[in-house]
Amino acid sequence: MSLSSRMILVLTTVGLISGGFLAGVAKLTKERIALNIQAEIEEAIKIVVDDAEVSTVLYEEEDLVIYREMEDDGQLAGYAIQATGVGFQDKITLMFGLDETLTKITGLTIIDQKETPGLGAKITGWDAFLQFWEDRDATGLLILRKPPVRTPSELLATEINSITAATISSRKVLEIVNLSLEKVRGLIAEGKIPSEEHDDH
Amino acid sequence: MTTKTIRAEYLKGLWDENPVLRQLLGLCPTLAVTGTVITGLAMGLATTFVLILSSLVVSSIKKLIPAQVRIATYIVVIASFVTIADQFLKAFFYPISEALGPYVPLIVVNCIILGRQEAFSSRNSIGRSLIDALGMSTGFLLALLVLSSIREILGAGTFLGYQVMGPWFKPWIIMILPAGAFITLGILLGIALKIESKTKRS
Repeated sequence: MSLSSRMILVLTTVGLISGGFLAGVAKLTKERIALNIQAEIEEAIKIVVDDAEVSTVLYEEEDLVIYREMEDDGQLAGYAIQATGVGFQDKITLMFGLDETLTKITGLTIIDQKETPGLGAKITGWDAFLQFWEDRDATGLLILRKPPVRTPSELLATEINSITAATISSRKVLEIVNLSLEKVRGLIAEGKIPSEEHDDH
Repeated sequence: MTTKTIRAEYLKGLWDENPVLRQLLGLCPTLAVTGTVITGLAMGLATTFVLILSSLVVSSIKKLIPAQVRIATYIVVIASFVTIADQFLKAFFYPISEALGPYVPLIVVNCIILGRQEAFSSRNSIGRSLIDALGMSTGFLLALLVLSSIREILGAGTFLGYQVMGPWFKPWIIMILPAGAFITLGILLGIALKIESKTKRS
């Protein structure tokens, strides 16, 4: 056998065997990986929408997913918005909740971030950042409170607390939420989020 | 293979030819994922898995591979095991996989693995290649554990997530930032060189 034929034969055989192995491994792990991602999303929804039991995807596009959340008894619990945007270091994926009338933010949690450890990564901390997202006004633009305050009661409903020495990361989260809210308001106006969902209240 | 050579083959990876401290190989993951002990440990174990299996496969098929396509073949073999390790972590250790981010797929380009295939497994028996891979991966894992332990304890006051420093301790945030990785590695390399020069003198 010529050298060229041997080279082609060896590389093709190794490639085919590897491909076969990887296809098998992908088949074995695919379901479990999907479940892990699903569990992460469900956990985030439960943090931001109280009593959320049944999720339905109302709208989906790249970097934005809107879920409608129902309670066990079929009552509307609220809405969960999953959004991804640019952070200080890399993309930030977060989930925030809206009440049944889509006018108030009920909470926020960070699903994925790669901000600076010890500084920007404080956006994942309850005391430093997340507690200030409860009961925020979702009808207009939210603004960053700088310098930060100590307790949520010191903020206006349209304000979000900044983080000392990590203002950029906190502002990036705010930008992602503001952009998502604008999109949500647009979708309501276009009728893409069923009007009866928020007209009931 | 005599008992003595098996022992020497294994031990060389731990100190004399330690991939991180003596050969300065695989420094990208060494610096990038040693902010916490758990990520350092996961990276060390994933690399161990890839190195051992790649060495076994390469040493088994070395006579069949034409020299001209040997590197391409090694990369296909290594990339396959890296993908398996990545999928396994995503399926069974999802939070760790998320924390390691792109560094698990990047094991493909870790010089330790390709280096051992080219320098050792392609020229030695399956048994000897296995011992070499075990020694090298243990050396890599130990270096990562030392580095990540120092960084996590000083940078966060914790070890494996458990608080080990008292309330008086103010974490040195720089230690979990990239600069802390370079500083710690530099000090460890200095200590390793000092020990080596003292051992040679005596």
